[in-house]
Amino acid sequence: MNHHSRLGKHIGSVVILFFLFIVGFKANAQNGQSLFAANCASCHQVNKRLVGPALAGVEERGPWTDRKALHAWIHNPAGFMKTDPYTQGLFKEYGGVMMTAFPGLSEKDIDAILDYIKSVPAATAPVPGAATATNPEASGDNTLLFGILTLILAIVSFVLLQVNSNLKRLADDKEGVGGTEPLPFWRNKAYIAFVAVILFLISGYFTVSGAIGLGRSQKYEPVQPIFYSHKVHAGTNQISCLYCHGNTEVGKQANIPSVNICMNCHMGINEYKGPDKLVDGDGKEHDGTAEIQKLYQYAGFEYGKLWDASKAQPIPWVRIHNLPDHVYFNHSQHVKVGKVQCQSCHGEIQNMNEVYQFADLSMGWCINCHRNTQVQFKDNGFYSIYEQYHEKIKNGTLDTTNITVEKIGGTECQKCHY
Amino acid sequence: MMKKLSIILFSIAGVAVATGCSDIRREPGLIYMPDMAYSRAYETYVVRDTNYFTMDSANPHGKIFYNARPVAGTIMRGEDLTFTLPKDKAGDSTYYVASKQIQNPLTNPGAADLKEGERLYLINCAICHGSKLDGNGPLYKGGQGPFPSAPKNLVSDPYTVNMPPGQMYYSITYGKNLMGPYGSQLDHHQRWMVINYIKSKQAANAPKPASTSNTEPANADAGANANTSSTTSAGTSATK
Repeated sequence: MNHHSRLGKHIGSVVILFFLFIVGFKANAQNGQSLFAANCASCHQVNKRLVGPALAGVEERGPWTDRKALHAWIHNPAGFMKTDPYTQGLFKEYGGVMMTAFPGLSEKDIDAILDYIKSVPAATAPVPGAATATNPEASGDNTLLFGILTLILAIVSFVLLQVNSNLKRLADDKEGVGGTEPLPFWRNKAYIAFVAVILFLISGYFTVSGAIGLGRSQKYEPVQPIFYSHKVHAGTNQISCLYCHGNTEVGKQANIPSVNICMNCHMGINEYKGPDKLVDGDGKEHDGTAEIQKLYQYAGFEYGKLWDASKAQPIPWVRIHNLPDHVYFNHSQHVKVGKVQCQSCHGEIQNMNEVYQFADLSMGWCINCHRNTQVQFKDNGFYSIYEQYHEKIKNGTLDTTNITVEKIGGTECQKCHY
Repeated sequence: MMKKLSIILFSIAGVAVATGCSDIRREPGLIYMPDMAYSRAYETYVVRDTNYFTMDSANPHGKIFYNARPVAGTIMRGEDLTFTLPKDKAGDSTYYVASKQIQNPLTNPGAADLKEGERLYLINCAICHGSKLDGNGPLYKGGQGPFPSAPKNLVSDPYTVNMPPGQMYYSITYGKNLMGPYGSQLDHHQRWMVINYIKSKQAANAPKPASTSNTEPANADAGANANTSSTTSAGTSATK
């Protein structure tokens, strides 16, 4: 028994040791990648220049042919640079950004990282996106079909009527009932009246719908200076609407983001490799990388160099939603106070490559929504004053004969001056 | 005669089909009364008549200079003036280092403040730093997303855990490395709320002692006053 348990312990420890060995080996192999991701990836990529240089082939450059120099540099860059002209040059080239010291990385760790860098294949030319042929015009428009059908039926009935009258005339001739000389159809009053009514209806329809549509721009979809896809940004990449249009919560206007907000991400992202095809309303496909280049031109930015924001020019985006001057609309009142979702008025923006005006922005459309929408009283600072007065009037602490307009916000500047 | 008629009818149908097909509306269309539709006052995002207005103050050429920006030195109502450090010049880090000393004016944030901080964080920061603050937002996705640079882990990296709120504030305001400046998206108060939220998350994550560098307990609520104690981290002496 005793003997047995000792043997068991022995075997157990051997097994544990073996496992430790295996695990340790595996960890070493993966170490480089995870260490790189944890320590280096903020500023370096293997094949792309970011804040710091691309690291592919680093051991063939400058003093780095000697691993010891690399160890010394990573442990204390500032100290190493004092005596090394190569890194002094790099420091200047990269806009005076000093590398972070990593005294905690052991030489073994650094070697693992370098092994990982070597194992990464060189950048390949971007493969033209595996074209997944999607049919953008799948459903088609039914009205056209119905129109054609109606026309065909009209022609058929017209032909049949003609045939009918001809046959009748023939029959009459045969029977010798020499009827009156048949009138050609353009002098036939029944025909004339019929055509007149049809024309009146058609022209009336177009006149009325044209008059109603005058001044409204539903489905307006202007060509923008940069093919910016909301589908890619707000849809696939899940960027909140308020990231770019943050003023929506505090102001009348939903702000159009300035160039610096684009550059928050596009200082790093200089090419488009996403899964979505950038197809505009006309069915034309756009090259995302080229569109980002357009942004760089407006921003005065060259990839790989420090960005001087003072060189940026505003992008002349074309405004889509226009209200006439006599209509006052405030975004913050709807988004912040009313807690209305952007999509309620703007449609499924996160699915639009090219944005169009979703709602007709007519008065009837506004009024209908105001008729149906519940006021969000709960946890809403905007309405707290109403609740407060309501409570005070109820328990009699407020003299109801003495509530002036001012007390309910009547002297706020914006009540009159907006 | 029948032939003629059918030709006429078919051509009308053809015209109707041709005009009815263009689906994309590239022009906004006409309006009833332009003088009621277009504002005579300066409205936001309305193109100004370049015959009368210029944005070039140096060479106005007799035009009116107007660029819709506040006059230099304008201070917003309710502005928080605790942080007045300007941005460092390229290659310099004086103000970045100095920002460590800036105190967070929003001490002891309430639950509502933290909730608002979380909301602002999720809108502005989470796309890169992740909704769990783990530096793995949808733009990075462990290297699979479009953003090439790994965002900082805000809860477990000692570098960010030990970063004083003032320096976080500097980085949010002016940007750092590949992170852009957020001064135009978050006002001063909002920036401190976001920092309070991050610090509260770090404090909640603290019980497991952060690996090596720091032994001070970072359990002070919301970490608002943890800044003076923990300035000696790996990162502060090193970056720049």
